[in-house]
Amino acid sequence: MSILNTDKTLPANKLIFEVRRDAALRERFRDDLEGLMRDYGLSEEEKAALRKADIKRLGELGMHPYFLPQVTRLFKGAGYNHNESDAARLYAEKMLKEKA
Amino acid sequence: MAEIVSVLAVAHAPGATGWLDKAPKHEQDALLAGYAAMGEKLRAARPDVIVGVANDHLLNFPMESIPDWCVGTADRWRGPAEWFRDWVNIPTYEVAGQRELARHIVRESAKRGFNLAFSDKLEFDDNWSVPLKFFTPEYNVPLVPIHMNCVVPPLPQPERCYEFGRMLAEVVRAWPSQARVAIMGTGGLSHDPGGPRYFAVDEKFDRWFLELLGTGDPKKVVREATIEKMIAAGDGGTVELLAWIVALGAAGGRAATTDFYVPSVPLRCGMGGVSWPL
Repeated sequence: MSILNTDKTLPANKLIFEVRRDAALRERFRDDLEGLMRDYGLSEEEKAALRKADIKRLGELGMHPYFLPQVTRLFKGAGYNHNESDAARLYAEKMLKEKA
Repeated sequence: MAEIVSVLAVAHAPGATGWLDKAPKHEQDALLAGYAAMGEKLRAARPDVIVGVANDHLLNFPMESIPDWCVGTADRWRGPAEWFRDWVNIPTYEVAGQRELARHIVRESAKRGFNLAFSDKLEFDDNWSVPLKFFTPEYNVPLVPIHMNCVVPPLPQPERCYEFGRMLAEVVRAWPSQARVAIMGTGGLSHDPGGPRYFAVDEKFDRWFLELLGTGDPKKVVREATIEKMIAAGDGGTVELLAWIVALGAAGGRAATTDFYVPSVPLRCGMGGVSWPL
């Protein structure tokens, strides 16, 4: 995956773009992710990946790389984002899981 | 006519303010000393306004419509954007804009073949928040932010970025004002947000790039510092060095001096900065 393989039209890209800019949408991300994903028209594949914070899969589906660590921060918190933070550990777990 | 009194480029990665304590002491010291020295040099040039160029980070421009460059035309700015505040660990701040200069840049660039977007509403993340925290912690120097597309292809090629920087300097100098203007690119060096090397830094690339900027040979820079090489050194992050190429153009292609370089895995970024003698 790469910025070169981003699918600009992927509904999940629009969802993440807007969630980061809107506190009310972040509340929905936390409390009603299913409804939010439905409203943005995510495919079943996108929904399954986002539910599990499967950023590797989201990247394969065309989510912009820049959003991927932000997905982990949406699930685990954005503050004090050092390499052992919950968000960074989730990133490592999901992104590097199949690395030999 | 306005005068350009300083041209510099510097990293803006959020770890520098967000979790610097997680870096080893020698990295912290070198980074803080580097930013301090650059800030001192910048303030000594007594700029009345800073024209900044940095990655928009997909914060303001939606996928539907992404300009190469967008000039911030507001009188007043506020940062960091709410969701990024905890991340960069910087309290809410306000900084003045310079609307007349911003409008001048948009108008005059159009006559020179650059179709710049402009906006009174731009949200800031680490792109300005981190450098301003170090360089102008009292937020007392107005900022004209130019947000650029560094991460959603097609990107402006290095040659175009260089030409944009040259044109920007020309337009700034043509502003009918006695203002002293600094031009500051922010971003880079190697980092890989969203990629497999999120927890790595490409020190070899960074040192090569800094050396290349030191040659004073802009043709060689735009020929060799390709987007492909930047992507290979960290997809989605390193490409922010395009903003440095804009600064290089604004400096007329002169040789840059490296002010500091700290490859930091705990900060997940090659941290560094350069300035150009004028």
